[in-house]
Amino acid sequence: MITFALPKGRLAETSAALLAKCGVDTSVLAKDTRRLVLESADGQYGFFLVKPADVPAYVEAGVADLGIVGKDTLIEEGRDLYEMLDLKMGECRLCIAGYPARRDALTNPHLRVATKYVNTARRVFADREEIEIIPLHGSIELAPVTGLADVIFDVVQTGSTLKANGLVVLEEVFTGITARLVSNKVSLKTKAGEILPLIERLREALHEDL
Amino acid sequence: MNLKKLPTGVQDILPRECRVLGDVRARLTRAFELNGYDPVLSAAVEYYDTYAGIRSALPQERMFKFTDSDGRLLVLRPDATLSISRIAATKLDAAHARLYYFLDKWDAQNAGGVKSREIIQAGVERLGEEGAFSDAQTIAFAIDCMYAMGLSDCIVDVGHVGCMKGLLEECGLSDARAEEVRASLNAKDALNAERLLKAAGAGEETLAAVRALPTLFGGAEVFARARALTKNARVLAAVDHLEKVHRILADMGYEKNVCFDLGTGKNLSYYSGIVFSGLVREVGAPVLSGGRYDDLADDFGKHIPAVGFAIGLKRVLMALERQGNLPEQPLPDAAIACEEGAEGAADALRRRLTGEGRRVVLAAAYGEGALADLAAAQKYYVTKEGVRRI
Repeated sequence: MITFALPKGRLAETSAALLAKCGVDTSVLAKDTRRLVLESADGQYGFFLVKPADVPAYVEAGVADLGIVGKDTLIEEGRDLYEMLDLKMGECRLCIAGYPARRDALTNPHLRVATKYVNTARRVFADREEIEIIPLHGSIELAPVTGLADVIFDVVQTGSTLKANGLVVLEEVFTGITARLVSNKVSLKTKAGEILPLIERLREALHEDL
Repeated sequence: MNLKKLPTGVQDILPRECRVLGDVRARLTRAFELNGYDPVLSAAVEYYDTYAGIRSALPQERMFKFTDSDGRLLVLRPDATLSISRIAATKLDAAHARLYYFLDKWDAQNAGGVKSREIIQAGVERLGEEGAFSDAQTIAFAIDCMYAMGLSDCIVDVGHVGCMKGLLEECGLSDARAEEVRASLNAKDALNAERLLKAAGAGEETLAAVRALPTLFGGAEVFARARALTKNARVLAAVDHLEKVHRILADMGYEKNVCFDLGTGKNLSYYSGIVFSGLVREVGAPVLSGGRYDDLADDFGKHIPAVGFAIGLKRVLMALERQGNLPEQPLPDAAIACEEGAEGAADALRRRLTGEGRRVVLAAAYGEGALADLAAAQKYYVTKEGVRRI
């Protein structure tokens, strides 16, 4: 059996649809259920539905063989796993954004950065200026608007939220942030006979979409 | 703060698990001894400077550091191979040595789960040996050790650092950038590796090879695929070497237990040739890891080509448990209790039975009732009149 860690939310439906296209029986995912561990009717596949940020942890430990997760989460979590495919879903960029001119520069010598990507922000700014990181969990754009931070480091998809709040992208740090198929490093070798054909079918399915 | 708790990432090993660990160590000791390895132990505490100044230095944030009474910085053994390489270069006279060890190491950055901060290890190092036959023997012995510990369905995944290093040296990258590319390729993230190399001005042929590198894993068919991709001499030499190792392993009957991954780039910088990992399905991280490190001892003043591997015993226990291969918990062979005044006779019985190699528990409380608390295959009650089997 191959087990998947799938992200709840934004990517859930597209992930299930893509797997279904490759012959994975995902009908169990369509049912309205509160169960977190699901198994396909043919017993070939298992599914865990987890928060997107938790997918890498499940796959690194080998609890799940494969997972679908955004590249932004992979960069942030820095887990030891294999990235097998770019699924080209949910494309966005990781950007530094803020007001065109920095405001409280005199009284706040450290650049204050609001982000939910704490590890990534630390790495990005490591070779630059001294910063103070303000970890937030959502509505990051609110931080510069209210004066909690000078800039934000966050994913930008269309930029409309930024624009609506008078903010602009100051720098694109990582482009091409998309959903990736990840594999546990041991599973790829010890279950190669099951996993590799599936990855090949996914690759073909993605190709047809383009 | 609860001071009765342990810090993150370290664990006590309780008697039941400890017995299994002891059993695994005994099996390994037998395998090591039968194959001509000699035991060695290194000190657990060393100077930080010993390993900070060498070319293959470990990242300092991963070492547990403390200060000596004279203010010098000390570290808890961060890596067994480094210590043994130092010992071989500074204290052993013979040109060849095959050594085995049971040495724990500490990694300050790991945080639990399959990545403990205190890593219980066993391992071997073959010092003063070169060539494909030595490499193949080491890999074959790694497989033997995995089975000797009681694991089933074991695979060793083999790579060669020359594949990645060869491609990267074409690009003239800075050390920091090369490390970033290595980490990306090791994660099979060809996209990011390609982006970094493009920025460094790599040519299209190199980029095509780098794109393909993460897919070059599987059986012996990968060698031909690799040759078709590049003319890089270092890469081709690595592929030739791997093919030779594969031929020898097949000849020795280990073909079904090995696979190859030319895209492997381990994060330890001292590896210079083949690298390999021992895998079982039940644990999501390697239970064994090793490779060739021909230039490491140079840093300690002597050139000693060498190859070896270490086994993560905690992960082995996890695998044994999940595979259902844990050895039975043996009951003591005999329990003895006695009445007051018969202590001498009871102890004489204990001595006779232990002398026969049997495991015996002598109750500390008087009376036949004391036997009820003791689990054993055979029970004896000793009175002043004599010994009674219960």
